[in-house]
Amino acid sequence: MSSPEEVTQILQEVSGGDREAPARLMPLVYDELRRLADHYLRQERPDHTLQPTALVHEAYLRLVDQTRVDWQNRAHFFGVAAQLMRRILVDYARRHQTSKRGGLRQKLTLDEAVDYSQTRDVDLVRLDDALTALAQFDTRQSQIVELRFFGGLTIEETAEALGISPATVKVDWNMAKAWLRREIGGGDADGDVT
Amino acid sequence: MAMSPEQWGRLKELFRVAIEYDPQRRAAYLERDCAGDTALRAEIESLLASHDQAENFIEAPAFDGNVKAFIEAPAEQIEGRRTGSYQLLRELGRGGMGTVYLAERADEQYQKLVAIKVVRRGMDSEDILRRFRNERQILASLDHPNIARLLDGGTTEDGLPFLVMEFVEGVPVMDYCDQRRLTIKERLRLFRTICAAVQHAHQHLVVHRDLKPSNILVTPDGTPKLLDFGIAKVLSPELSTLTSEQTRTDLRVLTPDYASPEQACGEGLTTTSDVYSLGVVLYELLTGHRPFRSLNTPPHELARLICEQEPTKPSTAVTSAEVVAPHGEARPRIAITSEAVSLARDTQSVKLRRQLAGDLDNIILMALRKEPARRYTSVGEFSEDIRRHLEGLPVTARKDTFKYRTAKFVRRNRLGVAAACVIALSLLGGLLTTIWQARVARREKANAESVSAFLKQMLAYSNPLIKAAGKDGGDTTMKDVLDEAAKRLDSEEFSKQLEVKAELEKIISESYVGQGRQDLWQQHLEKYIAIQRSLHGDDDPQTIVAMTMWAMALEHKDMAESEKIYRRVVPLMRAEHQKGTINAKDVVQAFINFGYLRRTQGDSREAESLFREALALSPELPGEQYFLIGLTRSTLASTLADQGRFAEALQTAREGVADYRQTGRTDAPDYGFSLTILGGFLTDAGEYAEADAALKEAEAVLRRRQSSSSLWLGDNLRNQAISFYRQERYAESQSRITETEKIYLESYGPSYDQYPTVLIFKGLILNRTGRAQEGERILREALRLRVESLPGEHFWVAVARGALGECLTTQQRYAEAEALLNESYVSLNDRLGPRDPRTSEAARRLASLYDAWGKPGQAAKYRALI
Repeated sequence: MSSPEEVTQILQEVSGGDREAPARLMPLVYDELRRLADHYLRQERPDHTLQPTALVHEAYLRLVDQTRVDWQNRAHFFGVAAQLMRRILVDYARRHQTSKRGGLRQKLTLDEAVDYSQTRDVDLVRLDDALTALAQFDTRQSQIVELRFFGGLTIEETAEALGISPATVKVDWNMAKAWLRREIGGGDADGDVT
Repeated sequence: MAMSPEQWGRLKELFRVAIEYDPQRRAAYLERDCAGDTALRAEIESLLASHDQAENFIEAPAFDGNVKAFIEAPAEQIEGRRTGSYQLLRELGRGGMGTVYLAERADEQYQKLVAIKVVRRGMDSEDILRRFRNERQILASLDHPNIARLLDGGTTEDGLPFLVMEFVEGVPVMDYCDQRRLTIKERLRLFRTICAAVQHAHQHLVVHRDLKPSNILVTPDGTPKLLDFGIAKVLSPELSTLTSEQTRTDLRVLTPDYASPEQACGEGLTTTSDVYSLGVVLYELLTGHRPFRSLNTPPHELARLICEQEPTKPSTAVTSAEVVAPHGEARPRIAITSEAVSLARDTQSVKLRRQLAGDLDNIILMALRKEPARRYTSVGEFSEDIRRHLEGLPVTARKDTFKYRTAKFVRRNRLGVAAACVIALSLLGGLLTTIWQARVARREKANAESVSAFLKQMLAYSNPLIKAAGKDGGDTTMKDVLDEAAKRLDSEEFSKQLEVKAELEKIISESYVGQGRQDLWQQHLEKYIAIQRSLHGDDDPQTIVAMTMWAMALEHKDMAESEKIYRRVVPLMRAEHQKGTINAKDVVQAFINFGYLRRTQGDSREAESLFREALALSPELPGEQYFLIGLTRSTLASTLADQGRFAEALQTAREGVADYRQTGRTDAPDYGFSLTILGGFLTDAGEYAEADAALKEAEAVLRRRQSSSSLWLGDNLRNQAISFYRQERYAESQSRITETEKIYLESYGPSYDQYPTVLIFKGLILNRTGRAQEGERILREALRLRVESLPGEHFWVAVARGALGECLTTQQRYAEAEALLNESYVSLNDRLGPRDPRTSEAARRLASLYDAWGKPGQAAKYRALI
C-alpha cells in the first residue's frame, strides 16, 4: 500500500519541476483507484452507486497528507487521477466495442448494459479521439473535460484544481462540450444505442 | 477547419461573449465582431448550434456505476505476452511491488507452471536486477519442501524486471484454517511446519522480511508453502539501513501489520524480525485479530503503535469484536466477533479464551517483544516452545515482568550484545553442512566463496548488533564481528563457563572457514578441542567428532598427521555410533573425508571400502542429508574407475541414479550431478545414445535448479561436449565447450582443475575442423597449465601431451608429434594400465601418426594395443 508520505513527496517533486515524478505517481494512484473500485463492487449493496467523485476524493484522502500539500499538489493529484480514469474507461470501451467507427456496439450483457446506462449517449472511444485533438490547440480545455467528465469534479473543484476562476472553467467547459459534441458527430452523439 | 492559435483565441473570445446573449443580439454581435471573416463566422455559428443542443452532453461523469472497467483494467497490457522464455497466462494478483502472473515456460523442454512477479514501472530496474543477481545463488539454494523456490529472473521486453518463482496452488493460511475450521492444536501444528521452513532459510542466512498470511499458502493436501523468500531484500534492500523517516515511507512495500518494530522504526533487520512477524501470524491464526491493524490507522501512526504500544493479550483479544474493511485486500467489510472466531476454530468462545490464556499468551507475547534481543533467539526456539505446550510440558516463555522502555534497543548492555553476537553466530551452524557438501563435491574454493557470500549477507543482518557494539555499521565486516566475539571469549566473563566457551569457540572456528581464514579456523578449532579434552577427556564422543574435523583441517598441510588422527578416531567412532552417542551424519562425513584423503594418497582400495561403509549407514541419515549419499555413490564410481574397474564403475553410477528415481528425488541438483557422472562413464563405454539422454536430463535439472553459472552445469556441458566430440559431432561439441569455458572462468577462474580439459577439447575440435594451428596454440596452453599445477607423472599431464601430439600429426610435424605421443603413451600405460580407455586412445594416436608418416609396421604394432 502507499503511504501519504510517499504520494505527498512525489506531489511535491512534481511541483518542484521533476518531470519524471508524475510517472511514479501514476501506478500508486492507479492501484488505489482500482482497490477502491474493487472494494465498492464487493460491497454488493444494490442501492449503492459508485460516484467517481467519491472515488477520487477517497483516493486523495487516503494517499495524501493534507497538511503538507498546496493547491498545486492537489491539482496534480486530480490531474493524474482523471487521466488514469480516462485511460481505464476508454480502454474498457475499446475492448467492448465490435466496431469503433460504425457506432455499432456488440450485444451487451445485462450487467454491462447497466454499466453503460449512464454513459450510453457518449461513444467514449470517439470522445477520446476528439479530446486528444482538442488538446492540440487548447490544453486547458481538454484538462477541464478530463477533470469534469473523467474525474467527476464539479466546476468549483475543477477551478480549484487548475487554479483558475470558476467562471473561466464554466466558459471553457461549455465551449469544449460544444466543440466535442460537434466533432464526434451530432446525430450520433446523444442518440440511442443502435 | 484548421486553426491557428490566434484564430482559436478569437473563437474563444467570440464564444465567451456570444453565449451570454440571446439569439438576436448574438447575431448582431457576430456580424460586427467577425468582421467579414466568413470561415470564422461559420465556425462559431456551428459551435453555438452544437452548444445549444449539448446541455446534457457529458455532464454526467463518465463512469457512474461502471466499476467493471476498473476491475478488468490491466495495469500493464501483458497477458498473453512472452517474457524471456515464459508465456504469461493470467494475472494472479497485485501488490506494492508489482503484479504477479501465472506463466509457463515457453520452450517445451521443461513444461512447468511458474509465478512471475513483474516489478512495476517506476521502481529502480537497474538496482533490482543487480541485487537479484547477487542474491540469486543464495535464494536458489533454499531447498525446502515448504518454501516456494525462486527460479529465475530477467527483464521484460519493455525493460521491467521480473522474478520467476515456483507456482503454488493453494489458499492463504488464514483462509485455509478458517474454511476447514481447524482447531487451535491443528493450527499450532501447521504453524510449526511453517516455522521449520523459516528456520531452514535462516540457517542459509536468508531472512524473509515480509512474512504474512498472504505469503503463506496451503495446498489442498495441507502442505504450507512460503512465498517470496528474500524477495523483499532484492526489491528493497534499503529496508535494513534506512533512517526512520525513509523507512516509514517505505512501509508501503511491506504489509505494515506484520512489520516488526525495528522495521517500522528504521532499525536494522535480523532473523528475529522474522520471529516477530511469525508472532503476528500466529496471533492472527489463533485469535482472528491482529495486534495492530493498518486499516483503521494511518500508516505513520501505525509505525508509532508498532514501536511503542504493547499488544493486547491474545486471550483478551478473542473476546473483543472489530469491524474491518480490508483495504488493499479485495474483500467486503467483515465483522470479527468472538462467536465467529470461535466457530472457525471449532470451539466456543469461553473455551477458546481458556485455551489461549497462560502458555499461549506468553509464547506469542514473547515473540512480539519490541526489543529483538528479548524475543525468542531463533524461530527454532519459538517452535520448540509451541511443541512443549502441545505436549503439556512447561514452556520457556514467561510473562514480561520488567518494564522496559519500549521502541529502544538495549544499546549499552554488554552482555546483551554478547548474547546477540552468539545468536548471529549460532546461525552459522547450518553452514557446516554446506562446507561438507563442498568437500564431497571437491569444490572447496567455489563453495568457500558462496559461504562467504552467505556471511556478507549475515553481516547486513547483524548491522544493529555491530552498531550496538559501538562501531559504525558501514565499515565493519563479518571478520570484525568474529574478532570481537573471539576477543570477548578470552575475557573474564567466560573463564568459569567453559562449556559455553567451548561451544562458542566451535561456532567461531566454523565461521572463519567462510571467511577463508583457514589459520583462524584451526586456531579456534584447536582451542575448542583443548577445552573439550580438558573437560571430557580424549575418548568423549564430542572430542572424537572434533578430532575428525581437526584431521580434515590438516589434510592439505600434513597428510600423514591427518591420516594418523583418522586411524585413531575412526574405530572409536564406529564404537560410539553403535552405542548411539555419535550420530550417523558425523560418522558418514568422517568416513567420506577419510576416503578422500586415501584416494588422494593413491590408495583407492581403502577409499573404496570407506565410501562403502559410509553408504551402508545411509538409511540412518535424515532425508535432507541424502545428497551425501548420492554424491558418495558418484565418487565411489570414480574410485572404481581409478582401479580400472570400469564395468563396476558404470554399474555403481547407474545404481546411484536409479536410487534417486526410486526415492523421487529427481528434482535435486545433486541428482543432476549424479546423472552427469553416469553420462561420462557411458560415453567412455561408447554408449552414446544413453549418455546423451542422461546428460540432457541432467542439464534440464541443473538449469532449473541451479544458477546458469554453476560448476555442476559446467561439468555437465563438458561431458556433453566430450560425448559429441567422440561421435564426431563437432559443431554441437563446440557450442557445449564454449559455454563450459564461460562457466568455469566465471565461477572459478583458470586455476580450476577442469579448465585445461576444456582447453584440450577446444583445441582438439579446432584440429579436427581444419584449424590445427589455432588448436595447437590452445593445446600448448592446456599443457602448460597442467605441467604447472600437477606433478609430472600425473596422467592428466600425459592426456594433454597426447592431444597436442595429435594436433601436430595433423600438421605433418611427425617427429615432434612422435616424441609427445610416446611420452604420453608410456606414462598412461604406467599409471592407468593398458586397458584404460585413455591408454587406448594414446595407442590409437600413435597408430594414426605412423599411418600418416608412412610407417605401416609401427602403426600396426600400436593398432594391436588399442
